[in-house]
Amino acid sequence: MSEAALVLEQVRTPMFGSPHHLEVDLRIAAGEFVALVGPSRSGKSLIIELAAGLVSPEAGRVVLLGHEWSGGSESEYNPVRIRVGTVLEQPGLLNNMTLFNNVLLPLRYHRGALSDRSREHAVMAQLERLGLTPMRDRFPAELSHGEVRRGAIARACMLDPEVLLLDDPVAGVDAEMQLVLKAYVEERRADHSLTVVVALRAWSPFIEGADRLVALHDGRVKADGPRDAVAEVVPEALRRYVE
Amino acid sequence: MIEWVGRKTIAGATYLAALATLFSQAVLDLVLPTQQGRRETLRVLVRQILFTGVDALPVTTVIALLLGIIIVTQAGTQLPRLGAGGLVGSIIVVTVIRELGPLITAFIVVGRSGTAIATELGTMSVTGEVVALRLMGISISRFVIMPRMVGMVLSMLCLTLYFDVVAVLGGYLIADAQLTIPFYAFVESVTKALSTTDVLMTAVKGLCFGSAVAAVCCHHGLAVRSSFTEVPQQTTRAMINSFILCLLIDVVVTVPLYL
Repeated sequence: MSEAALVLEQVRTPMFGSPHHLEVDLRIAAGEFVALVGPSRSGKSLIIELAAGLVSPEAGRVVLLGHEWSGGSESEYNPVRIRVGTVLEQPGLLNNMTLFNNVLLPLRYHRGALSDRSREHAVMAQLERLGLTPMRDRFPAELSHGEVRRGAIARACMLDPEVLLLDDPVAGVDAEMQLVLKAYVEERRADHSLTVVVALRAWSPFIEGADRLVALHDGRVKADGPRDAVAEVVPEALRRYVE
Repeated sequence: MIEWVGRKTIAGATYLAALATLFSQAVLDLVLPTQQGRRETLRVLVRQILFTGVDALPVTTVIALLLGIIIVTQAGTQLPRLGAGGLVGSIIVVTVIRELGPLITAFIVVGRSGTAIATELGTMSVTGEVVALRLMGISISRFVIMPRMVGMVLSMLCLTLYFDVVAVLGGYLIADAQLTIPFYAFVESVTKALSTTDVLMTAVKGLCFGSAVAAVCCHHGLAVRSSFTEVPQQTTRAMINSFILCLLIDVVVTVPLYL
């Protein structure tokens, strides 16, 4: 078995707004593309937050890229976070910056040695790939939800992360751009070993591209495996998320 | 009653400890600079100085001039009746340079920039910007808090000194125009009353007030958790607590020195 990029070992933690606890035991190999599917309040976003080190589990341990998230300071976490691109349900583009400057920020902050020209070139390439070039000088408040989300994904990919954690990457994104997003992630995976974990609330093209589906309900994993295998064993209530 | 006092005391001590932690972390980030994010942090710092310091110059000028005029008018009309007409300079030094200058400057800065910082950080918290920065490996203390704190402290110091100068000038204008106190007499009166300690203390107060206001406003801005309705609540708390803390610091600095 290849080296694990993300391990959630015997994790148990309360789910906000639900009487249930999230109880999972997951191991995601480096380079794997995993889609977490299920209805709202099933624990998908919580898994993304646990993986990103934003939430500490009540029990169990979470290890990302060999680093265990447990009681460390932010300065200890930062070297790991630079290797991970995360976009949560709230994309969090900075409202006082244009889209261009938002996507440029990680490079400006972490790759200060790069020339302005090469940074601009890198940002424009990402924006063009995601169909955002005409929006480069707009502020987040002037963009649609889908454009904000695509901008946040572009920003998350600027440092060439080893792991990409995406919470509902297709929310507010039109059907054509969903395909563009999927192709964008697949291209990045082809470029270098990239582990992708996406949480999805409805069927989307990402499900077709995933190596593995994890169907969740009320904080429990109901099915885990390749799409066809999951479609066979998944409970009726979750069938519409995988087919 | 005792329980209530105990609870409030613990809450107050916890609050001050949180402010001290925020402040000391910002100082550490300032004195232990890394190459990472230096230009970006500098950009935020310059913006903060422009907003808190430079943009506040017009309003500070108007308030300082008016205050100087009011104080010298009162002093110039009342003191001669007591046979103390020569103390106009002392009154300016005691009221403006020692006390009202730093305090009113602090109040201007709290009203303009402190509330803006609390609102901005509160909104950033609700819209997920703070979390997004953390997820990018960008230190909130280094990128968000430290430049705002340094910008506010430097701006407060400069504005305080500027306020004092303009208020004295305002006092001279009215002294010259209405009270017919000649320029040299006014200047002599002020310089005689002014000591190095007064100038140092006004600077110390500017630094202390700036640090306190920045820490309080950043703390309350980042205390916003999940709802936009928390933003005005935390901003109001930031403003009130900044005023109280500035007055407390003023008492702590002034009483031992001048009593």
